[in-house]
Amino acid sequence: MNDHKRRKSKKRSQLSWAVGSVASGAAVLALATIALYPHQGHAEVLASAKVATHAKVAAKPAAHGASSQQPIVYKNPPRSLIPQGRQLFAEDCQTCHGPDAEGSVRAPNLQGLGAATVDFWVATGRMPLADPTEEAEIKPPRLSHEQQLAVSAYVASLAPGGPAIPSPNLGLANLSKGESLFAENCAACHTITGAGDALANNIYAPSLWAATPTEVAEAIRTGPGDMPRFGPGTFSNQEVDDIVRYVAYIQHPDDRGGLALGGVGPVAEGFVAILIGLGSLMVAGYWIGGRAQ
Amino acid sequence: MSTLEQRAVDAADFADERLGVAKFARSSFNKIFPDHWSFMLGEIAMYSFVILIFTGVFLTLFYVPSSHMITYHGSYAPLRGQKMSEAYASTLNISFNVRAGLVMRQIHHWAADVFIAAIVVHLLRIFFTGAYRKPRELNWIIGSSLLILAIVNGFIGYSLPDDLISGTGIRIAFSIILSIPVIGSYLAFFVFGSNFPGTSIIPRFFIIHVLILPAIIAALIGAHLAIMWHQKHTQYPGRGRTNRNVVGIPFWPAYALQAGGFFFITSAVIAALGGFVQINPIWLYGPYIPYKVSYAVQPDWYMGWLDGALRLMPSWEAVFGPTYGGHMIPNVFFPAVLLPGITFGLLFSWPWIEKRFTKDDREHNICDRPREHPVRTSVGVGILMFYIVLFLASATDVLANTFQTSLNLVLWTLRIMLFVLPLVAGLVTYLLLREMAAIPSIGDPKIPVEIRRDFDGSFTLAELSIHGEEEEILELPEEVAYRSLVGGHGHSAPSMDTNGDQSSVETSEAGDDHGVFEVPRD
Amino acid sequence: MSDTQLFEGAGDEEIRRPLMEKVIAISFIISVLGTVGLGVTYWVGGQPQVEGGFLFLALGGIGVGIVSWGKYLVPQGPYVQERHEMRSAPEDVDAMHASLSRGLGQVGRRKFLLRLLGGAVGVFGLINLFPFLRSLGPVPGKSLFVTNWKHGSELVTADGRTVLASDLEVGGVMTVFPKGFEGEPSNAIDQVILVRAADYDLVTRPGRETWGPEGYLAFSKVCTHAGCPVGLYQELTQQLLCPCHQSLFDVLTGATNVFGPAPRPLPQLPLYVGTDGVLRSQAGFDEPIGPGFWERGA
Repeated sequence: MNDHKRRKSKKRSQLSWAVGSVASGAAVLALATIALYPHQGHAEVLASAKVATHAKVAAKPAAHGASSQQPIVYKNPPRSLIPQGRQLFAEDCQTCHGPDAEGSVRAPNLQGLGAATVDFWVATGRMPLADPTEEAEIKPPRLSHEQQLAVSAYVASLAPGGPAIPSPNLGLANLSKGESLFAENCAACHTITGAGDALANNIYAPSLWAATPTEVAEAIRTGPGDMPRFGPGTFSNQEVDDIVRYVAYIQHPDDRGGLALGGVGPVAEGFVAILIGLGSLMVAGYWIGGRAQ
Repeated sequence: MSTLEQRAVDAADFADERLGVAKFARSSFNKIFPDHWSFMLGEIAMYSFVILIFTGVFLTLFYVPSSHMITYHGSYAPLRGQKMSEAYASTLNISFNVRAGLVMRQIHHWAADVFIAAIVVHLLRIFFTGAYRKPRELNWIIGSSLLILAIVNGFIGYSLPDDLISGTGIRIAFSIILSIPVIGSYLAFFVFGSNFPGTSIIPRFFIIHVLILPAIIAALIGAHLAIMWHQKHTQYPGRGRTNRNVVGIPFWPAYALQAGGFFFITSAVIAALGGFVQINPIWLYGPYIPYKVSYAVQPDWYMGWLDGALRLMPSWEAVFGPTYGGHMIPNVFFPAVLLPGITFGLLFSWPWIEKRFTKDDREHNICDRPREHPVRTSVGVGILMFYIVLFLASATDVLANTFQTSLNLVLWTLRIMLFVLPLVAGLVTYLLLREMAAIPSIGDPKIPVEIRRDFDGSFTLAELSIHGEEEEILELPEEVAYRSLVGGHGHSAPSMDTNGDQSSVETSEAGDDHGVFEVPRD
Repeated sequence: MSDTQLFEGAGDEEIRRPLMEKVIAISFIISVLGTVGLGVTYWVGGQPQVEGGFLFLALGGIGVGIVSWGKYLVPQGPYVQERHEMRSAPEDVDAMHASLSRGLGQVGRRKFLLRLLGGAVGVFGLINLFPFLRSLGPVPGKSLFVTNWKHGSELVTADGRTVLASDLEVGGVMTVFPKGFEGEPSNAIDQVILVRAADYDLVTRPGRETWGPEGYLAFSKVCTHAGCPVGLYQELTQQLLCPCHQSLFDVLTGATNVFGPAPRPLPQLPLYVGTDGVLRSQAGFDEPIGPGFWERGA
């Protein structure tokens, strides 16, 4: 009886010790969980956070210059930049594109393509190439923002035609219309999450997650590389603005389900299910199925 | 007797007086289950199924199985104002507005992925250990049927949200049914209730997914377990284990506690996945509209081999006669109807195919070690490799993009690999196992031994326990002692002269498990 | 069932593992705390990650606790149990055979009645199968051979906007429908991908001399392989790629299948530009669109 009592009291002290340690552990875990997903405290916090990020996205391009109530304002760079552009063009571009951008066997004619085309290729770092044999790939731009505008201004001054540099006003865009247009016209190559994918014959639809609103609008309007061109007969400026707005959204989508796994869908999910899900359960099974001692 | 015990006994009496369960209950409580981690794989599958039922019931309370098109006015802004099916809108509602709805949806989806993964790995364990042999052919058939049903129900469940990616999957499913010779177009119209897309498929899929297939699966799992219970589980060879006994832990309480706990652990792991790893974020995919499409569309992993086969198939179809009035066996028939037909035909008939070669009609309750059966193991590895290549082929575009190589190159590589890799893998496995078979006592646990030479010149061999205590002292013939010394491995003498029946008592006794052992006898 | 007696009473010795008891207690307490956390999370509105985390603790605590209990605090043996061959004793088998034959003899004697019974059940099955299947859906008839495109169909976008010959720039692409059929469900079948590959009339193949006015080419968007929308246009190489199984179609030669599993070119829709500048179809497709089926030939 006495022995029984002692055991009981010992158990009670064990219990309080356990409760204490576990409570603190659980609290740490809960805090860590919430901290990992800062935008998703609970419903209200979530809602307010979302409004805030949306407002930020919307405010950015508005401050960028387009103060009018147009969804997209097309503006050529100031003509004062043309001399600087001519200089840069001679240094970096004319080896392939020719002194007057008339093209050569190595590179296309740029005359009449407009400032948006040139700005897109230069701003995304695809041009100028370090040497003519290099592939035109997305990389940090070699020219400064002013230099990009200068080259665009110069090429645009050579011949009329082509769109000027667009500044989308995302504040006027319709996100839902953008989703619909994106799914119909863009997702077939860039995937619905904007992750990008490989097309036939060594061509890639790039990921859209790093593209600026201006670049997206330029790409839609000018159709760089293998991308089709979507002119005013296909999309109105409003529609382009809507798409750009949706692209801005999928750069920071609502991943409320947790880790997004790169946005490539069931392939990654399958690997997680098999390797992590089944894998950890097999480890647990190894523990359970093994002999004690 | 404590009150708890008293109550349990009273309950048992109540049951026995009305149902006469005492005899069965006693034998069940005392039933012995062999211990091995690989015997837990089927349990993972079963527990995942239970999780699927629980979470699935929750989801049916909110899901609306309707293709009726409505305009969305819910809380997910990027789709507000769009036309979508009620099915999709209700799935958005589950993900955004139902409390705990998203976590339940994600747990349900992860559980489905793990369910089928566990079935497949369980099947591989059964295959490579030969546990399908007599008397277990029936359970092999039931298990294989469960695999098919699980895959079909998984695909149907994946289709229910009616999002852009799963809708494209339904479109492909229509084309596959359409491709069946003679009856294909009729069958497709009957299943879909009209030409694609129609408005019947979502409600029909729903009732199949939540009632018909789960009921069949549950019944088959019940039969699977009952047969296993009745036949008793197989066990691996080991000391004291024979074809005529089971060595392990009793069902009550040790096994019941472990298995019951494993259910909770399975649930915990899947719940963690459901909470922390996003799966099928249908809101990012948008509603299914037949002319919209996304790249990088893949089915869930267990359909991957079929999708891969569709991609690798050359552009070939059988045609007889002119466009109007002729006949055609379409391209997709071969990879998507014929291949699964052959696959599951082979799977179902495997025990009898093997029997045809081995002429073995004995009962087998001891699992084979895969390395001891080079032919079966290498055939299995080859076939497995075939399906792994098909599975990889379902991600040709993702592979090409990840490794920045040409899509065309990836496709052609996989087309060649599909036939080369299985042959190579099978052959390499076979040769390796033959090599291993030539090494005596490979795989046996190393037992520390001491070989002593006495003054009279005779050898004795002392087998030591892990702690260095003498356990057994054997007289050794001189040449055996010499070989043991030169060979440098643990003694294999006792098993040298008993290389008879693989599954018989004698060989198994030379196996592992030198742990504490008690063999109570009558 | 006699085999179970083998170990009865064995292993009743008490296992003392105070540390294990502590671990199990902690597990159960973690579970309780996790469940409480889960309840609080629900109460305040729910959050997927927090719910998942607490569910993990709640379930995992119980799981680890019970398993440890079953593994460390109760006897593990190993115990041995005999097993018997599945087949029954010979006398039982003989008795079964006898009973079976007796019954069969009693029934099988009346061969005529047996045949009638078989016939009745068979006819019942067959006849009732028919209405059951037939109620499920219509017979296909000619519906797989036709679309809603016909002579003079105006090309419109998904939102019903008429497409003019001046709308697309060279290198542009658009999904179009015959006017009046841009909504569901007909848009699944009638969807057409319109590509402007040049600014002059294009001839993709002999016999299609007038089909591509001002460089406009229109093809069924339903893949001839498995029916996915072929929505992926590579402008430089002028090829259409199907996003599902990567069939590649060469636009300038009439969407011929040049790579991947697609067995046939995409059917081309003959176009003309009306006097009002609107793009229209000269006629419907000259072959069934989409994936193959038994009733069509080459």
